[in-house]
Amino acid sequence: MTTKKKRTPIVNNDSWVVIAADSAIDTQKPDSDPAFVRLRNPFTDAASLYMLSSGDVQLFEVKAFEEDFHSWFVGQIVQRDGRLLFVTPMDPLYLILPYLIKSGKEGKFQPVDQVVMDEEFPACSRLLSCKRSLASLHHIAEEKEVGAVKFHRYSQEKTMNWLKKKVEKTATVLKARNISVGEGVKSTTYVRVKSESHYCEEDYLRYAHGLISEYISEDLSKALLKHLQLPELKSPTETEPPSKKRKLSDKPVEAGEDYTKFNSADFARKPPKKMTAAQKSLAKVDKTGMKTMSSFFSPKVKKENQ
Amino acid sequence: MDLGPFETDNSVSCRLSSQVPDVCRTEDCCLGIDEAGRGPVLGPMVYGICFCPVSKKEELKNLKVADSKTLSEAERENLFQKLDEAKSFVGWALQILSPNTISTSMLQRTKYNLNALSHDTAIGLVQYALDSGVQLTEVYVDTVGPAEKYEEKLSKLFPGITVTVRPKADSLFPIVSAASICAKVARDRVVKTWNFAEDLGDVDTDYGSGYPNDPKTKAWLLKYLDPVFGYPQFVRFSWSTAQTLMESKGVTVHWDDEDEDGEKAAQRQNNRSMLSYFGASAGGNAQNPTHQTHRFFTERRLKSLDTL
Repeated sequence: MTTKKKRTPIVNNDSWVVIAADSAIDTQKPDSDPAFVRLRNPFTDAASLYMLSSGDVQLFEVKAFEEDFHSWFVGQIVQRDGRLLFVTPMDPLYLILPYLIKSGKEGKFQPVDQVVMDEEFPACSRLLSCKRSLASLHHIAEEKEVGAVKFHRYSQEKTMNWLKKKVEKTATVLKARNISVGEGVKSTTYVRVKSESHYCEEDYLRYAHGLISEYISEDLSKALLKHLQLPELKSPTETEPPSKKRKLSDKPVEAGEDYTKFNSADFARKPPKKMTAAQKSLAKVDKTGMKTMSSFFSPKVKKENQ
Repeated sequence: MDLGPFETDNSVSCRLSSQVPDVCRTEDCCLGIDEAGRGPVLGPMVYGICFCPVSKKEELKNLKVADSKTLSEAERENLFQKLDEAKSFVGWALQILSPNTISTSMLQRTKYNLNALSHDTAIGLVQYALDSGVQLTEVYVDTVGPAEKYEEKLSKLFPGITVTVRPKADSLFPIVSAASICAKVARDRVVKTWNFAEDLGDVDTDYGSGYPNDPKTKAWLLKYLDPVFGYPQFVRFSWSTAQTLMESKGVTVHWDDEDEDGEKAAQRQNNRSMLSYFGASAGGNAQNPTHQTHRFFTERRLKSLDTL
């Protein structure tokens, strides 16, 4: 009765359902609207969508809640994509950081407007107009002032301290919001009977570190983990018991559980024993014309029978 | 028969009933069950019970109640009038299952089919008679599904009552005929004066019999098909007639309890389809395994966008 329904791809809409901070749509300059811009995502190194408020005063990141089988009824219109966009404030320093790190490899003090440049994402220079950008550069770079011009040089040490503070702040918020940070907890909608106060500081810090790592490069994330003195977690495959892999050997390959062999005359055959290193080297000796040790002890009767 | 209670909200199931005659509370009674409007794609399904003292069976026969299907609408109305006049010993009760109730039952996540719905409605009405103090000893039912199974089910539920389930019971037992007349009259009246909850302007009420094979009904269904919403609540969405039309003429709607297969379904379930191993490796950024999004975001179904 039912025919297979085919999905047609969702074509780009010209409207979205967005939740945004009030400050995102404040028009502070009369002829400039807030705008979506594509900038380099420090985590993926690829393009991501951000928003700059009017006059590039503030930076916002754009996240989409996206789940299958959702649509919107907006007024008298049905909107096919059930996405909910969140436009939330973001520290522009995260996006500036990769450019500073890159130029920092040269070890020179440079004016930031010469550093924050990207052929692929020309909009990145607008990041420097953000209120917080220039004022907070000292968190990640050393500053030098020559005349009226400021010069900056990336400082790993300062950056680590800055990121550490971010992690600690995030951990505080995670605690306050009662966010479950334990391992193995999958569902956020699952109602727990017991309160999860048993999480230790480290769980929160590690979770917060994971969250902050969404905004920095992988190298930086690793360095930060060290800086936080959190031991690197072993991947789950390593913590599992060693796999029962068959060891390589030159012995003929046999099925692990071959019950047919018990039906044959070989039934009495003893499984080959493992040999020590000494036995192995002895086994390699040329034994032609040598009697086995056991032959000396075998009963005489047997010999006669042969 | 006052259909007011149903007409104020015709999206739900509604019970209408006559006064219970006093004799029915003291004398042994028989009860008949029948339904009207099982097959149509339009309008409600109505379940009816009629009961009277066993001693008055002959009097009921004299009313010449017969299977409602063999009667014209006028004759049915006439007979219902007679039953109403016999209210000193005949009582009735109806359960009107709105088309919306039928649609939502049959199309819900855990499917509730029409037979189960029918059985439960019949059981509910018998229970209603018992609760009203009717001294039931015999129950006659026109069958839904296999008669023996249904009879066994009802006998178990109502011990002490002789339950007789027969196909065509409405032509065999006058009390079932009476029930069928009540049900049919109620359904006819409801369908004729259907209050459309939807704002359809001047609705064309020439929808024929409401049965799927009626050309008038089909034409009406085509005319009132909305590409997004489908139909007004007057239509049973669970009928394949309605479903086929919505599938061919309406916008496709996907639900998460639908069976799907193929590569797309696998993708949705986060499985990799066999095919994906053979395709050229796409250098996507978000899918790049080295950039695993933190579970804070994945658990909340949040992702970054690279374009709108």
